[in-house]
Amino acid sequence: MSRDIDWIKRPGRGADLRTGLRERSIGLALGAAGVLTVAVATIGNLTAGGNPARAVWTFGATTAGLGLVKTGIAIVLVGIVLRLWLRVDSVKESLARMKGRTPPGGVRTGDVETPFGPATSAATSPDPLPIHRMARAMWLPALVMGVMAVAVGFVFSLAASAQDPTIVAFRRWSALSQGTMFLGETFLLAGISFLLGTILSGLREGGGEVQEELGVAVKTLRMPTSAKAFIALMATGMMIGIAQFVLYLVGAANAGDPGFVTTAAWLGPLREVGLGVMLAGIVLALHTIAGALGFQFSRIRELIATGA
Amino acid sequence: MATLARNEFDVPTTPIDRDDDFLVVVSDRSLGRNTPQRVASRLWAPMLAMALIAFPAAFVLALVRSSLIGDGATDVVAIAQLQHLTAAVMFTGFLAVLSAITFAVARILGEFRSGGGLVQESAGVRVQTLRMPAPAKGMLALMMAGMMAVLIPVVLHVVAAAAIVGPAEADLLRSERWFEVLEGIRRLGVAAFLLGISLGLGTIVHVLRFQATHIREVADEVGSSR
Repeated sequence: MSRDIDWIKRPGRGADLRTGLRERSIGLALGAAGVLTVAVATIGNLTAGGNPARAVWTFGATTAGLGLVKTGIAIVLVGIVLRLWLRVDSVKESLARMKGRTPPGGVRTGDVETPFGPATSAATSPDPLPIHRMARAMWLPALVMGVMAVAVGFVFSLAASAQDPTIVAFRRWSALSQGTMFLGETFLLAGISFLLGTILSGLREGGGEVQEELGVAVKTLRMPTSAKAFIALMATGMMIGIAQFVLYLVGAANAGDPGFVTTAAWLGPLREVGLGVMLAGIVLALHTIAGALGFQFSRIRELIATGA
Repeated sequence: MATLARNEFDVPTTPIDRDDDFLVVVSDRSLGRNTPQRVASRLWAPMLAMALIAFPAAFVLALVRSSLIGDGATDVVAIAQLQHLTAAVMFTGFLAVLSAITFAVARILGEFRSGGGLVQESAGVRVQTLRMPAPAKGMLALMMAGMMAVLIPVVLHVVAAAAIVGPAEADLLRSERWFEVLEGIRRLGVAAFLLGISLGLGTIVHVLRFQATHIREVADEVGSSR
């Protein structure tokens, strides 16, 4: 694991019971700050009275607030990754004392069917999949780029709100603000998706590590269809997020062209579809995590009952 | 004092005091998943399916509106109505996908509760199960608040679209203001949903802490009885 880029340092065996709590507190505090920001922007919306300059400011503040909540979610996920590693140590230590007597005859290897889907049985822990390596290396850069783009987009929205809504400069800043902020939201969701991938990677690697150390068959679930669909949806959402940004840049460069109003009528919904597709991918990632946990609990019970 | 608690297998439970900050009940068998977790296990997939239908549908409506604008904007009423309808369908999608995420988080919590109980049961010890912690209750409350704050504007967008009767400027301006107000409320709903999801994930941290501590206690108990 340590051969690859990994931004989350695995806690030592004697780590404090409070590990992960700091991340949880920071994440929830950011979430609360984000909701407050959105609430302030909502008041702005309620009192805007058809003023386009006000509307562009409230859009910027709302998107920045939602960005804060998403950053908070990512930080809580870091806390989960840390706690999962401590779970591996606890299970390893405890299962060595609880498992049944391992029958002689060595480890049977090959493909096996489980109630949770097809799995492999091997003598050693599996290597991390390329997608898991990528997730562990990419979550932090994606998150940082997301935060930066949302912050820059917010500054653009302030610049737009300072302009007269009837002039071309207003439309230019407004287009830049929308494109940049939604690019930031896309990267924030990508960071969260990569963190969910990191959790899946940790479950796979940790499960293998426990079984290998106990000297039993290392049973590992094959990548389920839901995980493949998660990757496809995430990639689609990212492509839409980047495409909308490019199209808004083109729009900003041609802000004086009356035809941009036509494009903006579908570009706004397109950027929302991009985020929706990424959120759908996150649902499938969570479903995959639930399946992996069910498999692990079932395997622990099997080891307690049979020792193999 | 033993109390009869409604849980998946209707197992009697007894609250006990631990030396740490975990509030638990004990029982002879695994309690399985609680009611919200069982509901979540059934509803996450239909919600995801609804979202995957709503997003492209909203985009098609946006394309129709865009083509009307491109054709010379003669039918301003239809353009204003489609603005409301696109937002209504799009945010039906967001309502569904954010519900699906919340349900999926609840489903993970259900796996921990059910699986943790079954592991203790198979080790032959009395089963300790965490009582629902405050953040999990917060997740449910924020999900419901978020759902209402998105659903009500979705309905009002449809009402606003139906209320546009003529091409008079005052009518169109009123429609635009309605759009602005509803936009603010539904975004607040999305923020509430997301904060609820944070609380759900925070609950997972709590559960992982408990399970890492308790499995060692179970091993000690099993070791001393062998």
